[in-house]
Amino acid sequence: MNAYSTLLVEREGPVGWLIFNRPQAGNAMDAVMLDELEAAWRELDEDPDVRVIVNTGQGGVFQTGLDVVQLSRDPDALRKQSGRTRRAELRLTSWQNAVWKPVIAAVNGMCAGGGLHFVADADIVLAASNATFLDTHVSVGQVAAYELIALARRMPFEAVLRMALVGRHERMSAERALALGMISQVVDPPENLREEAQALAEKIARNSPAAMAATKRALWGALEQGLTDACKSGATELVSMWGHPDQVEGPSAFAEKREPQWAAPTTARPTSET
Amino acid sequence: MYETLKVERHGPVGWLINNRPDRLNAMNNAMRDEFAEAWKELDADPAVRVIVHTGEGRAFQTGADMIEIASDGIGFERYRESSEKFDFHFTSWHNDVWKPVITAVNGICAGGGFHWIADADIVIASCDATFLDPHVSVGQVAAYELIGLARRMPFEAVLRMALVGRHERMSAERALALGMISQVVDPPERLREEAQALAEKIARNSPAAMAATKRALWGALERGLTDACRAGATELVSMWGHPDQVEGPLAFAEKREPQWATIEGSGSS
Repeated sequence: MNAYSTLLVEREGPVGWLIFNRPQAGNAMDAVMLDELEAAWRELDEDPDVRVIVNTGQGGVFQTGLDVVQLSRDPDALRKQSGRTRRAELRLTSWQNAVWKPVIAAVNGMCAGGGLHFVADADIVLAASNATFLDTHVSVGQVAAYELIALARRMPFEAVLRMALVGRHERMSAERALALGMISQVVDPPENLREEAQALAEKIARNSPAAMAATKRALWGALEQGLTDACKSGATELVSMWGHPDQVEGPSAFAEKREPQWAAPTTARPTSET
Repeated sequence: MYETLKVERHGPVGWLINNRPDRLNAMNNAMRDEFAEAWKELDADPAVRVIVHTGEGRAFQTGADMIEIASDGIGFERYRESSEKFDFHFTSWHNDVWKPVITAVNGICAGGGFHWIADADIVIASCDATFLDPHVSVGQVAAYELIGLARRMPFEAVLRMALVGRHERMSAERALALGMISQVVDPPERLREEAQALAEKIARNSPAAMAATKRALWGALERGLTDACRAGATELVSMWGHPDQVEGPLAFAEKREPQWATIEGSGSS
């Protein structure tokens, strides 16, 4: 297990927690956090005891994007980040790190700018009732691209463009995010957020890890293609589970009214990432 | 004659009704074959302008018949070739039906039941309808039906159903809020009546224009925005010179119902 200075990585039963831990800086990503995120996703993904991952933040803020002040003082880190940004090779989120375990984002407060990466790239998103969402990029002369491109695949386009163009001069409430389907659950009082996220994660952890990974690959892969092609690619994922022990265990456990004993997940990930 | 479905006609509306209520309308192999036949029959009938799809009993549809799969000695292998090739014929979209299709969800819709929500044009539900996808809870992958669904509603809600599996159900109210469906019918007994009324409104529109509109909009799901507009242009221009384009404005000016040209079912073409 690694030690992190900008993140907390915890385990509670079958649930791995990845917690942004720079509350004094709005949990913004400095050079260290950028490196630690990649390591932490990998650690949780490779741990077979972790079935589901929850991502949240310490303090009153979820995530506010790049710590531009700190990065400007660290030319090497800035250069590395700029290169990855230019090539669309960021490694901040679970999607960017090819994590195929279920990922829940639990938005515990303000989510601004680059913080939206972690909403756009999560599978399921919950928020505390006092959470707010805004994209400040254009208010400071920056372009909003990746995180909003991805968000626009999962929610109404108008709401994305409004956040993109109004910038820091308006905030979206958790209630509005729920109505738009950007998130699926608002937790009130906000203090119960982690408890609710843990409960949801434990439900998910009862499902077949292999089937969930294949389902994630099918659904996320579908965002890359037209409908018919996406269905054809999805067929490969679907048929890949036929003959898997979980397909015998699932119906048997159901018939015998007991919890299924799933095969432990295998983490097949490319080894050549830099 | 069908063993697992009912096919009815009420005025200009064709009804396709899942009829295995004792099995929660799960699709066995016979039903799978009958769907292909029934869609073709309704599509080929020029008197049918709109199709409504619903179910008998307390469920709308619950996907593949797991009991048959577990007990027939063949299991999923029966479907390997068609699944690998995505060569399915059980929804209107699979069968190239370009008449308007309304799905009226009369109760539980689970797992493979989402095929007929994902592939319908319009979806309404009774207020007691519930939605869930238990695939991953029994070691199965959810793919086609949720891939289709994710083109028509927020992705997060689709992933939540996909990953929570049988441990949670979505209500008709939430489905309405998310835009997965457009109408909740309360009391539930009035579902068919409301579906018939909506279908009759749709039946007053030009069949040829609706078919071209469907082709343009469904075709757009295959492409990026600019390419979709270019492909849509072909559909749009295809109606220019069609008799309905004279009849429509004329009927409007004369304050009467238009007499539209009948169209052939497109399923076989």
